[in-house]
Amino acid sequence: ENISDFSLNITDCTQVVVPEEVFFTVAAAGILENLLILIAVVRNKNLHLPMYFFICSLAISDMLGSLYKTLENIFIILCKMGYLTRHGDFEKKLDDAMDSMFILSLLGSIFSLLAIAADRYITIFYALRYHNIMTLRRALVILAIIWTFCAGSSIAIALFSYEAATVIPFTILFPLMMFFILCLYVHMFLLARSHAKKIASLPTSTVHHRTNMKGAITLTIFLGVFLCCWAPFVLHILLARFCPHNPYCACYMSIFHVNGTLIMCNAIINPMIFAFRSPELRSTFKKMFYCSR
Amino acid sequence: MSALRLISNRTSQQALSNSDYTWDYEYYEYGPVSFEGLKAHKYSIVIGFWVGLAVFVIFMFFVLTLLTKTGAPHQDNAEPSEKRFRMNSFVADFGRPLESERDFSHQMAEESQSLFHFCINEVDHMNKAKDSQKGPSLESNTHFQEVPRSCGMFEEDLHCLTKFNIPNFVNTEQNASLGEEDLLISEPPIVLESKLVMQSSHRLLD
Repeated sequence: ENISDFSLNITDCTQVVVPEEVFFTVAAAGILENLLILIAVVRNKNLHLPMYFFICSLAISDMLGSLYKTLENIFIILCKMGYLTRHGDFEKKLDDAMDSMFILSLLGSIFSLLAIAADRYITIFYALRYHNIMTLRRALVILAIIWTFCAGSSIAIALFSYEAATVIPFTILFPLMMFFILCLYVHMFLLARSHAKKIASLPTSTVHHRTNMKGAITLTIFLGVFLCCWAPFVLHILLARFCPHNPYCACYMSIFHVNGTLIMCNAIINPMIFAFRSPELRSTFKKMFYCSR
Repeated sequence: MSALRLISNRTSQQALSNSDYTWDYEYYEYGPVSFEGLKAHKYSIVIGFWVGLAVFVIFMFFVLTLLTKTGAPHQDNAEPSEKRFRMNSFVADFGRPLESERDFSHQMAEESQSLFHFCINEVDHMNKAKDSQKGPSLESNTHFQEVPRSCGMFEEDLHCLTKFNIPNFVNTEQNASLGEEDLLISEPPIVLESKLVMQSSHRLLD
């Protein structure tokens, strides 16, 4: 009601609404999948390794993102039904808390992906000393540092979201991390390629040329999925900060719910490209499901 | 995210009080936005963004594919002896050290061929030893119990490697189908080395 006489032409660029059923289904699927991964890693002693702990960290951040969206939906529904007032102080604090949960999820995702890439990098390039470099305790310490930093930043960003200074580092962090992860993987990729060439020079080996594409496809999927799911939202934040009154920007911001759904889809896709690729984790799942029957 | 509403409200209106804060799903009420006289299509940012993203991803894919085809010459020329040493040390330090059977990696760090041979024999012995559990060598019994666990892992390893096609690495199976697994994703590259070792041990055992 604070904008009583806006001369907005309502027929242009209306909010694109995602049906609530789709929202809830996607969010629930994301939460369940990631919860399964957490349970599987906790239950199977063979999976108590740094690699799987980082995958768990990614699963937790995905879960938080989906949980945020679900809770927000529920609260909006409660608002509409009248159980919660719209102008309360309590609601404002609740809203801030939930915003910080979402930023925590985004930062957690980025740093978990970075940790997974760094872990694989150390596995390949420092393989002989891997056990000394990446002990279990160090992995847990690294995760604790990452999550403390993410929690602190998310609370700071949520509290001081009106400052321009918070939006800019947030949006710069995103492409920087992506670029760094890309560099790590490309370097690993090059080493794998040179190994393949050496093996191909063995007398009794045959090379399948089609398999050479697999690495490129895999890397592209890794980074492409993350980019496609998070970049729209990051752009939204930038536009909301810098050009909220521009009609083009307003049209972009009208697809906000689609961007939110994309983030939840990322929570569903990430386990498939990280966790479910591991045979050990898959066999743990099979055991879990067959034992429960 | 309603924090974003807060951002835009505060930038547009200087005198803000708490009563202006509303928690609403609609982002629409940012303020008067006139859609008169637009030169380009109104969704141009959306279209431009997604097209740019798609182009970037495809470009990245082609760059990676090019890397696949030509390789990196400096990578190949630089220190091949060191890489060879690394491969050999993988073989020596064999035994899936990234698995949790670390206490067992000491035994597995021995000659891998003999371990392979050993495993096959020990699994047979284990089956016989199950019947006679109160054998004189209780120690070797516990040893037998430990060994098949790692041998089980070993066999799982073998099984995995026969099932999966590790891309970018040579597949010496005659009729292997392309699996989904990718070295960069599932298992550390020591699996590759173990595969090499196993094949060499296969040849030795035959």
